[in-house]
Amino acid sequence: MKKKNPILRIALTHLFSKKRQTVVAMLGVTFGIAIFIFQGGLMTGFQKTFIDQTVNTTANIRIYNEPKKERPFLITEVYASGEWLVVRNQKPREELPGIKNASAIVAELEKNPEITGVSPFLSSQVIFKLGLAEVSGRVSGVDIERENLIFDVEENMVEGSISKLATMNNGIILGDGLAELLGAKMNDNILLISPMGVSVEVKVAGINHSGLTEVDKQRAYLSIRNTQKLLLADGSYITDINLKLKDFNKAEILARELEKKFGYRCLDWKEANVNVFGIFKIQNLITYLIIISILVVSGFGIFNILMMIIYEKLPDIAILKAVGYKDRDIMKIFLTESLIIGFTGGIFGLVLGFLLQQIIGNIEMDIKGFVSMKYLQFNNSPIFFVSAFIFGLVATALAGYFPARKASRVDAIDIIRAK
Amino acid sequence: MSREIIIRTQNLGKIFRDPVEFHALKKINLEIYRGEFSAITGASGSGKSTLLYVLSTLDTDYTGKLFFEEEDLSQKSKNGLAELRNQKIGFVFQFHYLLHDFTVIENVMLPGLKLGLLSESQLRKKALEKLEILGLPDQAEKKAGKLSGGQQQRVAIARAMINDPVIIFGDEPTGNLDSVNTKNVFDVFKSLKEQFNQTILVVTHDQEFAGKTDRIIKLHDGEVVKD
Ligand SMILES: Nc1ncnc2c1ncn2[C@@H]1O[C@H](COP(=O)(O)OP(=O)(O)O)[C@@H](O)[C@H]1O
Ligand SMILES: [Mg+2]
Repeated sequence: MKKKNPILRIALTHLFSKKRQTVVAMLGVTFGIAIFIFQGGLMTGFQKTFIDQTVNTTANIRIYNEPKKERPFLITEVYASGEWLVVRNQKPREELPGIKNASAIVAELEKNPEITGVSPFLSSQVIFKLGLAEVSGRVSGVDIERENLIFDVEENMVEGSISKLATMNNGIILGDGLAELLGAKMNDNILLISPMGVSVEVKVAGINHSGLTEVDKQRAYLSIRNTQKLLLADGSYITDINLKLKDFNKAEILARELEKKFGYRCLDWKEANVNVFGIFKIQNLITYLIIISILVVSGFGIFNILMMIIYEKLPDIAILKAVGYKDRDIMKIFLTESLIIGFTGGIFGLVLGFLLQQIIGNIEMDIKGFVSMKYLQFNNSPIFFVSAFIFGLVATALAGYFPARKASRVDAIDIIRAK
Repeated sequence: MSREIIIRTQNLGKIFRDPVEFHALKKINLEIYRGEFSAITGASGSGKSTLLYVLSTLDTDYTGKLFFEEEDLSQKSKNGLAELRNQKIGFVFQFHYLLHDFTVIENVMLPGLKLGLLSESQLRKKALEKLEILGLPDQAEKKAGKLSGGQQQRVAIARAMINDPVIIFGDEPTGNLDSVNTKNVFDVFKSLKEQFNQTILVVTHDQEFAGKTDRIIKLHDGEVVKD
């Protein structure tokens, strides 16, 4: 049996009788959806890239001892009476704000099933010396195997391996930029000199490429013990504990819990990048405003053409009602028209948006900001495309609803009398 | 032999309130029987169209009572009335009111598509039969707007017949036609009545047309003055 749905047939006939306006209304939707996909895809793609890189390079949670901003004068604490207070320019003794009971805390954290990696950490400024070359940078004192659970150090090794650092007692892993600056190769001996004047000789056990240019130019991994030596600190001295979670989205909640439990500052990755997320929020707001205003414009296109058709077809509406079409049938006719426009325009919009993504996404850009990428990264997940399409259909249906309702409420007898 | 009543009114009235209160119909008591071909006549402004719109359920803003096949229509919902019109009532208006973007046969099929009892091909066949009765089978695939006035009016009659209605209403169906086409339309109604016992109620101010029908209901200032 052939299709006998009169609603669809009437809707199509109306649209075909107004080809040009129908095409214009469809193009409105097409551009709306295409821009949604391009602009929204660019924003979310960029933000996802950033988040991925951030999650890979900053700890989900970092636990550390936050130094108090203002130190009370020692003397006012001792002589509480308040007399004879003439000591100025008080100079605190060099005090290292470490985590006091680090190993107990580490043991405790490792029992938490939400936490998949725990890496105690301390770092020191150093000068790297190799032959005549002198470069200043930082050493990160880590238990490299624990560190690897959090930051995939092994995966980023260009030469050597982390197990080498773990087994040697004076090994070092250099960032590839740093190695280049020093002219260092595997097994070269490098002299580290700390601000305390301590020097330690180490041997290159590996070269690492994290992808963050600035980091690779000045960071090296060292064992915890050697870093403590550079800082003249005892064997229990740790400044930070970095954590990796099963689900990094739970970082914020867990950070608050751990803060309460241990009394140290627990910084989650979102908080650590709070400025960037603030920018994201504004970016998103602007993007959505642009998208919404474009869809509103497309919506007006649909509204317009429907009002035009309805006005022109008032006699048709009257006769349809006279021969037994119900109000809701009339409503369906015009809603169908708007959805046909939205659906067709939307499909073309998806294609156009996809093509724009492909074309722009294949132009080499070499962007180096706080994220470095060679090409613009678009969000091209199917869910994103589907939601753009649904968004377009909803906007279309809304734009069609009011004219359709108006048409359904037309009083047939008024029109028949008026003739 | 008791005749079957299709439409019955009880003190039917119609008041227009805009621009001033105006009693367009006053205490109309009428019975229309099955198989009757009757005409409503009267001077212009006497209330003929107003009465027809009320009787055909398009206008629901009336006083008094209206029964269709002895069912009180004031009890029916808007949708219920739409269904009633679709199944049991055919319309022919003065201005043809075809849908101009559709072909002749599609116009004829429209009420049948809504009714949805027949398949597309069955309905198409039936529409062609109706067009044959009206002498228009060769026009079926033309756009409705391309036909002459007389032809369009016959298409409208075919459309009115498609669901085999209980009654066909006409409001000045020949008002716009020349004498040849007028006779043509009259003959069609006449043969529908004679062949199919079709009930027909037609508003006309054409005395000659009215004179040839079974029954003349004459209106004057909203009242039935002669039946
Ligand atoms: N919508 C309306 N509002 C007010 N008065 C109307 C309206 N329609 C018709 N009338 C009045 O009702 C009377 C009957 O009109 P109508 O039924 O059209 O007459 P006829 O069809 O017999 O020429 C006329 O006096 C007309 O002016
Ligand atoms: Mg009239």
